[in-house]
Amino acid sequence: MDDELFLNERIKVVVVFGEGLNPCQPIKFRRANCREVTITEIGLRHPCLKGKRMMHIFDVTDGQADYRIEFDAERLNWTLTREADHQDA
Amino acid sequence: MRDGYNFEKPLIMHVDLNSAFATIEQQSRPLLRNKPVAIINRRTEHTSIVTASYEAKSYGVKVGMKFAEAARLAPGLIAIESDPAKYRFVYQKLMAILNSYSPYVVMKSIDEGVIDFHHMSNCPNLIDIGHEIKRRLRDEIGVAMRCNVGIGPNRFLAKTAAGLHKPDGMDLIDADNLRTVYATLKLTDLTGIAGQMEKRLNAVGVFTPLEFLDTDKIALQKVVFKSITGCQWYERLRGYEVDDVVADTRTVGRQYVLENRNLTRQQTTNRLHHLCESVGSRLRFQSKAARGVYVYIRTVDHQLWHASRICQLPFYSDKTINFIAQQLFMNAPDRIMEIGIHCYELTDNDDSQMSLFCDTLAREQQLVGAVDDINKRFGDRTIHSADTLNTNEFVKQKIPFGSTKYL
Repeated sequence: MDDELFLNERIKVVVVFGEGLNPCQPIKFRRANCREVTITEIGLRHPCLKGKRMMHIFDVTDGQADYRIEFDAERLNWTLTREADHQDA
Repeated sequence: MRDGYNFEKPLIMHVDLNSAFATIEQQSRPLLRNKPVAIINRRTEHTSIVTASYEAKSYGVKVGMKFAEAARLAPGLIAIESDPAKYRFVYQKLMAILNSYSPYVVMKSIDEGVIDFHHMSNCPNLIDIGHEIKRRLRDEIGVAMRCNVGIGPNRFLAKTAAGLHKPDGMDLIDADNLRTVYATLKLTDLTGIAGQMEKRLNAVGVFTPLEFLDTDKIALQKVVFKSITGCQWYERLRGYEVDDVVADTRTVGRQYVLENRNLTRQQTTNRLHHLCESVGSRLRFQSKAARGVYVYIRTVDHQLWHASRICQLPFYSDKTINFIAQQLFMNAPDRIMEIGIHCYELTDNDDSQMSLFCDTLAREQQLVGAVDDINKRFGDRTIHSADTLNTNEFVKQKIPFGSTKYL
């Protein structure tokens, strides 16, 4: 049941801003321990208000684990907030 | 045999997301796809399952089942805590898609909506629209999204059609295939027929939908239902519209199953206070005021205790709701498992009638308005009672089933 890690880790992200239904596409990110995660699929992107700050929440995967990364549209920074590999279930 | 059926062209479409919350989680977390997933509201073994994926359902996991029991049935069952913000986003996406086909769209709940094509002059083929909606769900939300589409001459038959071939089905029911479809169903497969209603029908010799369909109108009204409901069922089963009604809000409420059965009385009253703030906020969101407060308790021995009070003047502030609720709660028994509060006797809060005590009320009104404005701008519960400082992590906002009022 508890296969999910809740984090608050500042990350560096490579993003492509294009067009279409999903104009903002994170490609890969670097974690605090310098490990690089290459995103193979964006599961869902949904906006969420934290007070008056708009956060864009991306649920993504690298094929090994699912991650949640959040983009703060006011402060323009990225945070890794969840990691789950669903292996222990 | 087909006399009295509605032969009108089917122009009602019912769209229903398959195992909505589980599918949304499988969409957003690709590693969950093709695995048994259960959506829960709380990370404990005793929690109940809100939604199960089709993979979990194939093991016999059902909605409402305790997680521990479900985990025994489905080895490797993955529990995911519900994420209302995400489901709300998908709901808004679904609503936008449905609204692009007709202005007459009614969202029946967070995962289903009805499109009425009656008012359109050049009505396109509904089967084509159904396929297009399925494709747009995959394109605009994600590749794992699936939905059932049902088409019928009324809302009831459209919903019945949507449930015929899950998941990802599309069916049409009209006067021509009505009897054939009913012949494949059980009574409880019909929306609105559950345990008690089934017993009532069985008592008069009705055991199948076809027998229900063939029952005389007068018998349904005078013998089975003993009310106008019998006539409505007679019409509904034949494809005539009787469900195109908008029900008024009569109560606003919330309940909470305590996270721990050994909480002190003070801790329980704090959680009740949190519920009062939540109910007050919902009341004002709908521009309503209430005159009555109803509090109920369910004990660990499954005993139900309840109390209510009605006031002369309407109210809508958290402070007043909490004041009345706490007074009622003083007489409640111990060993509490669940608490709940409802406000009733609702009226529109239009401030047209000035009270003799208008100074006090006007001050309260301004204060409540200011707090609501701050919470709206900076986020829910930015300002709340000091009593409920520590309750946030327990009494979380959950998924509003059956109503789309607060989405």
